[in-house]
Amino acid sequence: MTVQYSELIQPERVHGSLYTDPSIFAEELDRIWYRTWVCVGHASEVARPGDYVRKKVAAQDVIMTRSTDGEISLLLNRCAHRGNLVCEDERGNSGSFRCPYHGWTYRNTGEMLGYPYNQGYGGKGKLSLGLGRVPRVDTYQGFVFASFAADGPSLKEHLGAAAGELDRLARLSPEGEVELTAGWLKHRAKANWKLLVENETDGYHPQFVHGSVFSVTGSHIGNLYSDKSTAVTRDLGGGHSENDLRPEFRRMGTPMTWFGTSEAKVPEYVAKMRELHGKQAEEILIEGAPHVMVFPNLFVAEISVFMIQPTAVDETVQNVTAVQLKGAPEMNRRLLSQCVGSVGPAGMLLADDSEMYERNQRGMAARMPEWLDIRRGVGRERVDENGFRVGAANDETGMRGFWSHYRSLMEREDAR
Amino acid sequence: MDQWIIASEFAEVAVSLDTEANGPRLRLTDLRGGRVRYLDALELEALAWLPDERMRELLDPSAGRWSDGRRDG
Repeated sequence: MTVQYSELIQPERVHGSLYTDPSIFAEELDRIWYRTWVCVGHASEVARPGDYVRKKVAAQDVIMTRSTDGEISLLLNRCAHRGNLVCEDERGNSGSFRCPYHGWTYRNTGEMLGYPYNQGYGGKGKLSLGLGRVPRVDTYQGFVFASFAADGPSLKEHLGAAAGELDRLARLSPEGEVELTAGWLKHRAKANWKLLVENETDGYHPQFVHGSVFSVTGSHIGNLYSDKSTAVTRDLGGGHSENDLRPEFRRMGTPMTWFGTSEAKVPEYVAKMRELHGKQAEEILIEGAPHVMVFPNLFVAEISVFMIQPTAVDETVQNVTAVQLKGAPEMNRRLLSQCVGSVGPAGMLLADDSEMYERNQRGMAARMPEWLDIRRGVGRERVDENGFRVGAANDETGMRGFWSHYRSLMEREDAR
Repeated sequence: MDQWIIASEFAEVAVSLDTEANGPRLRLTDLRGGRVRYLDALELEALAWLPDERMRELLDPSAGRWSDGRRDG
């Protein structure tokens, strides 16, 4: 039966089956995860020739490699002989890979180097086989993206306005580069991936879900999402959205408030940024890092980076790491400890969110009401000077943008 | 004797400096297969200058250890 997405996705509500129907999940793999640009990792994870790390694009096991000429490849982790996993380790350094099953050997670009006892194949070089390669690989600010579609929009076109948010993250580094080298934590949630994506820029929940954390730590974050806040939620187009907290930080006007600290705590960093950027340093240090959800799976939450990986209609893995700024060791120590404190194994923020994702999934097993409501703030949205739809800090503007783009991908005639 | 282990999921090799001969050599021990090879300075220099294409040929399993009709390895 063909799913009528126009019926399930309406401007102010979405149907519960979108989160629970296995056939819709299967279509999402085809039409979104194995088609559009998906963030896989970061170039800094394979900094040197021969470095490799294992990654996932939904169910696809992918090896991200850097060859001797510096090129980054995304190879499918499947031997061309009998389909065995070629790489087992999560990371390592090897210019070539040898399948443990029958010894077929490949360069880290996927090229076949050879196979044992080659007379059985008529000699050397008789097989035009190699590891599968993700058809399109591109990077932006070091973030590595994969597209399983041989053609389609470029990465730049896909990112659109979200690219500027990644620029904003990179400019916080004195060397203009982000590094994701702190290692990854994997959080498994028994929930549909879209619940996580929607939650990332949902400014309505923090004061409830994270209320206890804010009260014990005296954090000002809750106020940023109150009805009195001047911060906004922005639909950046292309399914991307952000909580733009800059209006609040500008109002406060103090460097490093975005980071919950003062410049006295990171004097070397602040001095270096002022030396580099002159007057513009104040803007950078006041506005801080973005809070942006890049469709469909990259979430930058100021100090942490999340890559969302769906594993089943009701299960998702969130890969989380700390933002590290090249050339800013003083900041990096704090970024790491703040990240661990908020989204680490005993972190206080993600544990709250994970509980909500899973309750959400369980709640949707109930048959009625069938719909989820996404209308918050419809009546007070406006279009900003750049043509983007903007709502209040705690409005569901980002969700509506996500669903509009999701629908356009799922309804495409040529999607299959 | 200082020894380093160079290991990946694909191979494990012990590397040490051997000074028993009249001149220094690098001693390589394949920890999985037990095979030992010594490399002198000139051989190491040749390896350093070996074109990538030749290295790729060496990595072909049929090029040595697992070639048809050979019993070594």
